[in-house]
Amino acid sequence: MSVPELLITILLSPLAAAGLIWLFGRKNHNLAAGLSVLAAGVSMVCGLILLYSVWDGTVVEGMRVEWLSLGALQISLGFLLNPVSALMLGVVTFVGFWIHVFSLGYMQGDAGKGRFFGGLSIFMFSMLGIVLADNLFMIFIFWELVGFSSYMLIGHYLTEEAAAASKKAFIVNRVGDFGLLLGIIYTYWNFGTTDFGALEQAIGGHPGAVSTVVGLLLFCGVLGKSAQMPLHVWLPDAMAGPTPISALIHAATMVAAGVFLLARLAFVFTPEALEVIAWVGTITAVCAAIWAFAQRDIKKILAYSTLSQLGYMVAAFGFGTLYALDHGSSAGHTAAAFGVGAAMFHLTTHAFFKALMFLGSGSVIHACHHEQDIFKMGGLLKKMPITGITFGIGVLAIAGVPLLSGFYSKDAILYLARETNTIAFYLLTFTALLTATYMGRLFFIAFWGKAKSEHAEHAHESPMTMWLPLVVLAVLSIIGGYTVGGPFTIYPSSILGVLGDSVPELHGSDHTLFIIISLVAATIGLLGAYLFYGAGATEDRLEQRMRPLWALSKSRFYFDEIYGWYVARIQDRVADFIDFMDAFLIGGVAVRGSAGITGLFGLLARSFHTGNAGSYVWWFFIGLLTIWGFASGFLTNLF
Amino acid sequence: MNIGLSHFLFVSGMLFAIGFFGVLLRRNVLVIFMCLELMLTASILGLVSFSRYNATEGEFLWSGNVFVLFIIAIAASEVAVGLAIMVALWRRRQSVDVANHAELKN
Repeated sequence: MSVPELLITILLSPLAAAGLIWLFGRKNHNLAAGLSVLAAGVSMVCGLILLYSVWDGTVVEGMRVEWLSLGALQISLGFLLNPVSALMLGVVTFVGFWIHVFSLGYMQGDAGKGRFFGGLSIFMFSMLGIVLADNLFMIFIFWELVGFSSYMLIGHYLTEEAAAASKKAFIVNRVGDFGLLLGIIYTYWNFGTTDFGALEQAIGGHPGAVSTVVGLLLFCGVLGKSAQMPLHVWLPDAMAGPTPISALIHAATMVAAGVFLLARLAFVFTPEALEVIAWVGTITAVCAAIWAFAQRDIKKILAYSTLSQLGYMVAAFGFGTLYALDHGSSAGHTAAAFGVGAAMFHLTTHAFFKALMFLGSGSVIHACHHEQDIFKMGGLLKKMPITGITFGIGVLAIAGVPLLSGFYSKDAILYLARETNTIAFYLLTFTALLTATYMGRLFFIAFWGKAKSEHAEHAHESPMTMWLPLVVLAVLSIIGGYTVGGPFTIYPSSILGVLGDSVPELHGSDHTLFIIISLVAATIGLLGAYLFYGAGATEDRLEQRMRPLWALSKSRFYFDEIYGWYVARIQDRVADFIDFMDAFLIGGVAVRGSAGITGLFGLLARSFHTGNAGSYVWWFFIGLLTIWGFASGFLTNLF
Repeated sequence: MNIGLSHFLFVSGMLFAIGFFGVLLRRNVLVIFMCLELMLTASILGLVSFSRYNATEGEFLWSGNVFVLFIIAIAASEVAVGLAIMVALWRRRQSVDVANHAELKN
């Protein structure tokens, strides 16, 4: 098959599955699951064929379909395949497929299984649309579609909590998307196009052509979708959805769409905008890592960890691109896309190990009958060896232990931060230490020691549809760090443009230094967690011994409270005022007023209808006289 | 005395006025109905007189006279429908006074 055929198959097979599920699969759960997994499989196979054999790495652009034409505004739908989108395509289809397989086991017996798989398929379609889109309008369409599918899947369980969480996710994302839309309109207004290729040519290499505001407005979309501060509040709540959804949408792919958008638009951002982006990422990374310590829910811990790692990616993009702007032109240096490379590299490895850990937590939750409190688990390593070991690999990978994937991507980020901004470098290194500690806390408390509840006591290994994806993702979490060009790489050479040359490679003393930093952070973190919390602890020692620190972490810096206060005190008052204006001016004066006047005329006209045939003849007679009067000119002359 | 067009038109006008004011003032449906027929007759008379007046020497003018046939046909069907309605009205209400029938009010 040729590249266009493959791309269309990849994009449309999940849509076809979603359509068929909508028609036939809402009652027939097994059919729905089969269709959805089949579509994900077709997408993955086509994606892998595309990356490994058909496509050679040159940019493919076009296959445009005119969609909307309003005067000079032409909105088209088309594909743009370059190394960045190819890598993202690989990640989304591959991780997506294995999470589909996992869902087969996890959603067994769920009342809304058909609906769930339909949502999963529509999500895959929307996400792939973002990945392949060749212009900003198309990205925006699919951006909203993933928002919708996320909303639908967070609310899958139909509980109060899930309903509130899905609403919160949708509304917070709308705030960010409003900025994104403004950015898109601004871009169109400035350059007359939103095509990535045309934009890159228009801006191409001289960042002075574009203002900082455009970059920051577009970054608003990233704030929402990738849950960066201050719009991060929705992501932890989104854990109310089924665990495979948390793995696919709220860890591996959708939340990474923001980072992907940054990588797609790398040429738009000015140094000032990049500075802001980098700091937002850094602060999110640090704060989320701090908040993770007060959580007891296994999924919430992973959610804060996701926030923190997303912060890493955004910071990587910011600092890396700043670095690239400084060094890109110097001879013999291939730094031009360091930001994109480092961010996409961490996105990829994070997709592997975070999807792995979320699926692992899903396996645990499944085995413990929906118990999510890690202090009620314990001893799971012996009872669920495959889940336990693969989860451990994920923990080691995210902690940055050398030779595992997380080490490589995190090192690239730390290196870029050190070369650009020392304070950020220290903060990010501190975050790495915190990451190792809270992941160690999670692992030692939940998996080691003795079982602390009835459910954990009777836990046993999950079925193969659930552990097979864990094993696959665990393998990738180990070898996913070897980039293109190395001896053990799994990546095809077609994506050399993003993972090969664009990821900074460390040499000499830098190399040694960063191995030491990573090793020390991981060791101190994991050992510290083991020594402080102890294996299989029943109580949170931080809560008992260092109450102020715990309270600080628990407070999450009062973001939710501030937003709650703002909404209740200010926004609701504004809404009340607008509601009054609506009820009074529009509803009262305009609508009811005009209806009233018409009604009065009606009342007048009604009084002529006496129902007596004689009177009608009189009216007829009067009418006849009037017509005669006008026709003869008698009345006209009179007045 | 030479009888000309104006005499015919006068009779026609009188007939029409009688019919019209009959409809206007009488309350018995049957009488109103007869008055309607009177108005039709008045218009027939007018048509015939104009037709005769406009005819040239030695050549008969058809158009006004043909109209008369149509009007008679229509009047006949009207009688059929109207009388049926009146019979039905009498059966149901035992009254043919228009003042007693005001259901179409408002």
